[in-house]
Amino acid sequence: MNVVTRGIKNAFRSPMRSGAIILMLAISIGLILSMLVARSSVNAKIDQVKSTAGTNITISPAGVFGFAGGGNNLTSTQVDQIVKTSHITSTTATLNDQLASTDTNLTPSLTLGNFGARQARFESNNSSSSTSNGPTSAELASRPAPTPHTTVTGTTNPNSISTNGAKLSITSGATIDGNSTAYVALLGKDLASKNNLIVGKTFTAYGKTFTVNGIYTTGNTFQDSGIIMPLATVQNLSGQPGQVSSVIAKVDSGSNVNASVNSLKSTLGNKADIVSQAQQAEDSVASLQSISSLALASVIGSAIAGAIIILLAMIMIVRERRKEIGVIKAIGGTNKKVMAQFISEALTITVVGSIIGLTLGVLVSGPMTSSLVSSSQNSSSSSQLIARTSGGPGGFIRGGFNRVGSNLTQVTSSITPQVFAISVGITLLIAIVGSAVPSWFIARISPAEVLRTE
Amino acid sequence: MLEVKNLTKSFESPSGKVTALENVNISIKTGEFASIIGKSGSGKSTLLSMLGALDTPTSGSIKVDEVDISKLSASKQTVYRAKKIGFVFQQYNLIPNLSALENVMLALEFGGMASGKRKKRAVQLLEEVGITPDEMLRRPTRLSGGQQQRVSIARALANHPSIILADEPTGNLDSKTGKMIFDMLHSLSRKENTTILAVTHDMDIAGKTDRTFTLKDGKIAV
Ligand SMILES: Nc1ncnc2c1ncn2[C@@H]1O[C@H](COP(=O)(O)OP(=O)(O)OP(=O)(O)O)[C@@H](O)[C@H]1O
Ligand SMILES: [Mg+2]
Repeated sequence: MNVVTRGIKNAFRSPMRSGAIILMLAISIGLILSMLVARSSVNAKIDQVKSTAGTNITISPAGVFGFAGGGNNLTSTQVDQIVKTSHITSTTATLNDQLASTDTNLTPSLTLGNFGARQARFESNNSSSSTSNGPTSAELASRPAPTPHTTVTGTTNPNSISTNGAKLSITSGATIDGNSTAYVALLGKDLASKNNLIVGKTFTAYGKTFTVNGIYTTGNTFQDSGIIMPLATVQNLSGQPGQVSSVIAKVDSGSNVNASVNSLKSTLGNKADIVSQAQQAEDSVASLQSISSLALASVIGSAIAGAIIILLAMIMIVRERRKEIGVIKAIGGTNKKVMAQFISEALTITVVGSIIGLTLGVLVSGPMTSSLVSSSQNSSSSSQLIARTSGGPGGFIRGGFNRVGSNLTQVTSSITPQVFAISVGITLLIAIVGSAVPSWFIARISPAEVLRTE
Repeated sequence: MLEVKNLTKSFESPSGKVTALENVNISIKTGEFASIIGKSGSGKSTLLSMLGALDTPTSGSIKVDEVDISKLSASKQTVYRAKKIGFVFQQYNLIPNLSALENVMLALEFGGMASGKRKKRAVQLLEEVGITPDEMLRRPTRLSGGQQQRVSIARALANHPSIILADEPTGNLDSKTGKMIFDMLHSLSRKENTTILAVTHDMDIAGKTDRTFTLKDGKIAV
């Protein structure tokens, strides 16, 4: 029998206590592994989302959100400034307008519904709503049904209306040149069928006769009820020459996006709200980011807990066996031998604890990761709702961003050899801490301890 | 030859300095069986711990075969304890987790014996002190006090020490068993020519030894 076997034997000297220590250690090691897995899986997802984010920057007038809010459109000077900003390779400018029944012969294909009716009641300046508590149900019923408007989007690039970021899907006819001043239009599928219009037919808007160049579909009912026209046409006819309600600027590379956002912010000042796809992606992974840092904190916490568990256990054991250590030293045992024996005892406990803990970690890391991700996604669902509505009225341009949020919950946890190696490394560190400090105590125990009577 | 000169040991305690030993001078010839008597607190255990290099004296010298052990380095003192000294304690102080046989083998390991030879030597030692093969495989808690003390004597003898220091070896035993243990130590000192210094309260036993030192308040009384 040598020091190592004596240490191993000592590790199971009091099975109940060793069992409890091993269990606590196993739990913290299991937590270390599963949190490392969660972290690396979530980080991989974050990287993936960020790397697939486009390089577009959206510039909209300050204070405008969809059709809501106030603020002034961007002027042609501001658009020029945007175009001249370095690293911006191309821009798509858009101006949104609405056609009332007096402006066009088209019948809107959208019914107002509750949502639209509530918005419309602000516009119909009805003097009957004298009661401070708002209109009664009787008043609401007697009120003439508000008519919905038809949305017109003037754009330099019709493809920017696509909800999925790809090319706009034209079901018949051809797309229009966004840079022309012609009276041509693309009609949404729903609007076209509502008015029995096909390619080549005409309709009137702004008192002019427009030719239907093509019919498009996006899969979004709101957008499929709209009209797309060349930007300049809408600018001229709606009396807003040179004005745009949003600009999408494409940056040459992802690494220049932040610089471009900063230079745009300095040139446009507080006149415009500037949002980059990269920023949006960053915002959408914010909850994942917090899981990642939570997981890191857990790893550190568990490692510290594990180290403290083994440390306290070993200190307790050393204190308890003070006299025994004195006996060993008195009969000629060297400091080295006593230390080696206790280190082998601590290592035995750690190894057994880590085998159980790592097995535990492998088993729970998958469910743990997905429950962490899904619970955080639930808690952030309200903020996602806001993000989605921004894709609604007038928010065509943001369409492509919303895809990011939808599959964020699909984080696949996988135990990579690297993560496993890190866990084993941390465990080893725990064992070293757990042995080193008690060894220091051991070295200080005098052999004269043997004469002390308890 | 064991020579103690002007040995003084004092401890720092919260209430001030405690002088456990003061100017102790003794000399014991090789193979002699000496006993130390004295009241509780007179410094008997302190003297033994100095002789066994368990603690260092405040002043004075302890020469064992012309080597001053109190001047040795810590690692040399460990070697001295392993090879030259055999301890027998009142509470036996066997390692509770090891069998009687393993306890003796542990001392042989510290004495530097090759691992292959330890078992044979340990069995032989245990047989000499009357431990049966069945008892050899038991842990100390499964042995009687007398049996445990015999195992601890076997352990003390393991490395052919030149001095055996026994601190009240019969203190926890009945007088009959105590006598048996003392006779055992006595005959061993004759056979192996080992110097034995034993602390005892039993005047009968002290009377049978070659010499008796009396400690009183840390000083040798004459
Ligand atoms: N580590 C220590 N620190 C402080 N005082 C000590 C220490 N060890 C012993 N003493 C003191 O030294 C004196 C001698 O103690 P020692 O243990 O040698 O007595 P003893 O003769 O063996 O007594 P007993 O017969 O009760 O065992 C006592 O007063 C004791 O309190
Ligand atoms: Mg004593």
